[in-house]
Formats: sequence, structure tokens, C-alpha cells
Amino acid sequence: MKNLYLPITVDHIARVEGKGGVEIIVGDDGVKEVRLNIIEGPRFFEAITIGKKLDEALAVYPRICSFCSAAHKLTAVEAAEKAIGFEPREEIQALREVLYIGDMIESHALHLYLLVLPDYLGYSNPLKMVNEYKKEIGIALDLKNLGSWMMDELGARAIHQENVVLGGFGKLPDKATLETMKKRLSEALPKAEYTFELFAKLEQYEEVEGPIIHMAVKPRGDVYGIYGDAISVSDGFEFPSEDYKMHMVERVVEHSFAKHSFYNGEKPFMTGAISRVVNHADKLYGRAKELYESHRDLLRPTNPFANNLAQALELVYFTERAIDLIDEALAKWPIAPREGVEVKDGFGVSTTEAPRGILVYALEVKDGRVSYADIITPTAFNLAMMEVHVRMMAEKHYNDDPERLKYLAEMVVRAYDPCISCSVHVARL
Amino acid sequence: MEGKVRIGFYALTSCYGCQLQLAMMDEILQLLPKAEIVCWFMLERDSYEDEPVDIAFIEGSVSTEEEVELVKRIRENAKIVVAVGSCAVHGGVQSWEKDKSLEELWKTVYGDGKVKFEPKMAEPVENYIKVDHRIYGCPPEKKDFLYALGTFLVGSWPEDIDYPVCVECRLKGHPCILIEKGEPCLGPITRAGCDARCPGFGVACIGCRGAIGYDVAWFDSLARTFKEKGISKEDILQRMKMFNAHNPKLEEMVEKIFQGVEE
Ligand code: SF4
Ligand code: SF4
Ligand code: SF4
Repeated sequence: MKNLYLPITVDHIARVEGKGGVEIIVGDDGVKEVRLNIIEGPRFFEAITIGKKLDEALAVYPRICSFCSAAHKLTAVEAAEKAIGFEPREEIQALREVLYIGDMIESHALHLYLLVLPDYLGYSNPLKMVNEYKKEIGIALDLKNLGSWMMDELGARAIHQENVVLGGFGKLPDKATLETMKKRLSEALPKAEYTFELFAKLEQYEEVEGPIIHMAVKPRGDVYGIYGDAISVSDGFEFPSEDYKMHMVERVVEHSFAKHSFYNGEKPFMTGAISRVVNHADKLYGRAKELYESHRDLLRPTNPFANNLAQALELVYFTERAIDLIDEALAKWPIAPREGVEVKDGFGVSTTEAPRGILVYALEVKDGRVSYADIITPTAFNLAMMEVHVRMMAEKHYNDDPERLKYLAEMVVRAYDPCISCSVHVARL
Repeated sequence: MEGKVRIGFYALTSCYGCQLQLAMMDEILQLLPKAEIVCWFMLERDSYEDEPVDIAFIEGSVSTEEEVELVKRIRENAKIVVAVGSCAVHGGVQSWEKDKSLEELWKTVYGDGKVKFEPKMAEPVENYIKVDHRIYGCPPEKKDFLYALGTFLVGSWPEDIDYPVCVECRLKGHPCILIEKGEPCLGPITRAGCDARCPGFGVACIGCRGAIGYDVAWFDSLARTFKEKGISKEDILQRMKMFNAHNPKLEEMVEKIFQGVEE
């Protein structure tokens, strides 16, 4: 029996966050078991916020995940506002989406350049690429800085944005700052396109080629985007967000502090950039639309590695989209940062597209407090499907050098946009 | 310190925000020639948890039995141990319901489901090992890292701030949210260093940098002010506990204000 222990990098896990591992158990007649172990301690976010004042709970939810803290904040706030029967004005909604896009740009840039690219270029650590890949690291930093600056301006800071409050924002940037934001976004566009060209050249491993069920939030207003009130499935089915529990069924699995989810109770599914592209590419516009048309064969629904390129495509799309959204807000200038809200009793479900896929918040409010909370994060949705793909990879490579298998297994997990530290444990029986 | 400084960044249970904050600093590229990263799973594939280091940065709260063992090993291997962020220093937001039982919390989230690892209630790192320095915040400000790293690299020692957010808030000239809007701002008891970030956006401080040392943190006088504004004892405690649940003085000091008061 041979035991190996190897670090890999994995995603922020629903409710738990942090450390996870891949365990591949090989017997004489092939791969016996593949498990994604989520070993980080539970943080009980739903339980600790029940009975708490709504605004305080909303301050705590983003702390579930730093890479997606704006996603958590905005989704939680939308669920809360739906629960209390408040609808933000269009221009506020537009600026909230710009903030969300800041998160998207930063997260995609970090994932693609710092977490994925080193694998392809043969580095263990992105910092080691600095001398040889000056241009790429420069672009990574520029895009990342743009995203975090957008979050600083609109959210008070890049991680855990306190400036998003019930009814709007605490304070809005002035008009000149929004003009500067537009300018910086247009300057970023060629860098986003360069990223797309770069990732279009990278290998997509055919070992993991096969049918995948994709789920994505159906964008509001029929433009490719982040907010929506229904979920679309790649098999053509569509359901209202409120019914998420019926079609995205969660189960506790014993090797993980994060639960696994299944479509209609049995089928693993995928969510994330590629799922958005697969289900809603017809709603893209601008330069991203052209890039999609010319690279359809690479942005295919059958390979999880296509998620990397889909993220690069989104860098292009969301950069352009943010400019349009800022224009929408500026057209109504000057705008009031927030409206008074009355915290009534009620129940609200918000589904949005976080960088890594569908994020669900269901909140019930009673007497100004959270009386029920259910939060499901994209990685939790993806875990079951990720296990399937790691298994496919393992089945092709279990006879290879274990180091190579671990490497490939990590790459599969990373393609789903993992961002936490993780370990692979390969046991040969 | 001579030669390259060996640095480890270790994560316990957390949101990964503190290390993301560090990873996002372009300045760390300039530090690289001076440092060797021995362990940092978020960025480095070749990371080693059990190697000796000069400085160990620990993020996250101790939340599983495995993490208890991990922090002990980190302490044995490190010359300087730095607890980074509100999770490591104060137990983090996950300690907010410290008074409930683990069983109760587990049932709310997992029902009857079981997993093979051993969870425990979240605790600050200091409950298990000696910590040499603390970097406060959820997440810390970038300059907190630069200051700490910079002073360590020249062989010196960073100092703690011992005045509240209000000081920075007054210097910045923001309108006072507590006095002018009557909102429960925690600035008066919270350790400064963020330049009163949230009041600058018109949002009340939630105390993410944790209370200043308890001899300086006047939970009682702030509780009195909150009480005068009609906030109940329970609500005051809950707000103050968001980032201070493990503070042994908090309850007692708030209690004092409500002695003999019927709610
Ligand atoms: S202190 Fe805050 S930012 Fe840092 S790991 Fe904990 S929750 Fe995340
Ligand atoms: S707004 Fe808050 S931090 Fe600023 S002075 Fe008032 S109480 Fe202090
Ligand atoms: S104002 Fe308060 S909540 Fe905001 S960053 Fe500073 S310490 Fe944290």
C-alpha cells in the first residue's frame, strides 16, 4: 500500500470554506473511489444569524467567502429586500451590478492568472512567473486592481463591503469617479481580450469530455448578466428561483463538511461561467458575442476545462457591460444613495450568478430579525459533478506516475475555479 | 534577520480573506527577493506545513480537532507566530453564537447528517498557543501587513494601536453616526487602524477590528449610550459580540449598566 499526500488548490466551499482534498483510491482492477474531502471546520452561518437583527446578519454573510464577498453581500441583500417587500430603484440596481462585476473581474483575473496559468506554464506558484511572464502578470494585476478598486469605490472595500445596505448604498461615489471608472474599464478591454486569446490556446483535456447538465440563473431583462429570478437547465427545463429546493436537492455526505447537490435528486450538475455561456450565450452582445461566435468549438458544453475560457470571455463581456450600466446610472444623475426601508415580515429568495456559479439565499424576516436562512454556494452545487470529472481523469491515468495523476486531478478541480488550499490523498490498495 | 526570511501562511477555518488581502498586494512582489515562501497553499503548490519558518502567519479560527493539532505544530516550527485577522485573533464571526451548543448549531445546518471529521466551536488561536503578534481586522488593512512585515524584516517589532476608531473618525471629520443618526456605531470600543472606513461611507462601525484591550474598551459606557437610545440589553450584547464573543469582560460590563433595570 502506498500513501501520498499532496496539496492542491480548491474552491470556497458552501458554508464552510477553505480546506478540501481529493482522495483517489485505486484497487487492482482500477479506480475504486474518488472523494472530494472538505475538511475545513463548519462555520454555521445560517445557524448563527437566526434570531439576529437583519442588518447585522447582512454584515456577517459576506464573511462566508472572501473571493465572492460582494456576491454574498448583494445576494443576501436582495433576498432580504425581497423578504421585506422593497425594490431598489433601477439606477441603484445598475450600480449594485457594477459592484458585482468588480467582484467578477477581480475573481476571474485571480483565478485565471494566479491559480490556473501556473499549471500550464509549469510553475508551482504564480509569483515565480514574474520575470518570464511580465506581460501576463502585469495584465493580471491590472485587471485584479480594477476589480478591487470598483469594489473599494462602490462597496467601501474589496473584501467584505459594508457600503451595501438595505435600501441602497451608504454613500455613492461622485460623478467624476464613475466617469473615471468607465475610462478604466475601456482601457481594460484589450487586456481582457488578450486574456481570451491566451486561454483559447490552452489544452482542454479530452479525458473528461462527456455530457454535462448545466444550470444557470436566467438573466433578468434578457441581457447576459448576474441577476435573475429563474434557473435554466441545459436540458431545456426552467424553474422559478423559489423552487430551488425541489430541483437542486442537497444531501449531507460523510466525507465533507459541505453538502452535495443533485438535479432532481439524482443527477450531478455544473454551474459557473461555462454553464452561463452554454445556457445564455444568445444574450451576449458586443465584442464578447463576436469572440463567442468565432470560438464556439472551444466553449463547448462537454468539458469542464472550457470553464477557464468561459471566464476569459466573461472578462471581456462584463467589462463592456459595466460601462453600459454606469451610463444607465449616470443618465439619472444625481441619484440618492438610499431610500428609507420599512422592515416588514416576509420571505425572499435571491438567486444570482457569483463568479463560480449559482448562489442562493433564502431568508425569512420576522420582527426585524432573521427567522430562517438557507444559503447554497456554487461550490457546493459543483462538488458532486467535480467528483465525477476527477473520477474520469483518474480512470484514464491511475496507472501513471501518481504525481502526474495528482496534478491532473488538481487541474480538474481548479477548472471549476477553486480558490482554497487543498490536499490530494492517493491511496493504492 | 539574515538571508531569506522563511515565511509560512497557514489557514484554519476562515473565509480566506486575510490571505487574499495579502495576495492582492502588488507590494508583495517587492518583498519576494527577501523572503522564501515555505507554506502558503493558496498560492504555492509546493507548500510544506511542517517545515521550520521564521514567521508564521495564521489565519482563521480553530474549529476542528485537526486544527488544534495543526496550530501546535506551527508553534513548534516557528520563531514568530502572528495571528492574522479577526478569526485568528478573536474567533471571528463564526463565534457569534458561542453561547449555543455545538449540537444545536449542527442540527440547524446539517439536520441528522454526519461527517467523519470532528467539528468544535470556533476559538481564537491564542486559546491553544502563544501568539507573538496580532494583525487585527476582518480583513486587515493592507498597511497592517506592510507595517508588520516591514518591521519584522528589519528585526524590529510592530506596535499595537490602543485608541478607538472614533479618534480616526473625528480626525477625518465624518459626521458622527452614533450621535447624529442614533445608529449603534461600535467605533468607541473598536481598535483603530482602518481610518474609520465605514463611518466614512455613512455606515455604522460593526467592530470588525475587535475591541481595544479590555482595560481601554469601555463596553459599559457605550452600553449606557445605547441604552439611552432605547436599545435592549440583548441587542447591545449581540452587536458587541459579533467580533468579540470571546471577550471575558464584555458581558459583565454590559450587565452592570442594566443592573436593576427591568426590560
Ligand atoms: S478575519 Fe475576516 S477576512 Fe480574515 S479570514 Fe476571518 S472572516 Fe475572512
Ligand atoms: S461615527 Fe462612530 S466611529 Fe465615528 S465618531 Fe461617531 S461613534 Fe465614533
Ligand atoms: S469602521 Fe469598524 S467595521 Fe469598518 S473597517 Fe473600521 S473597524 Fe471595521
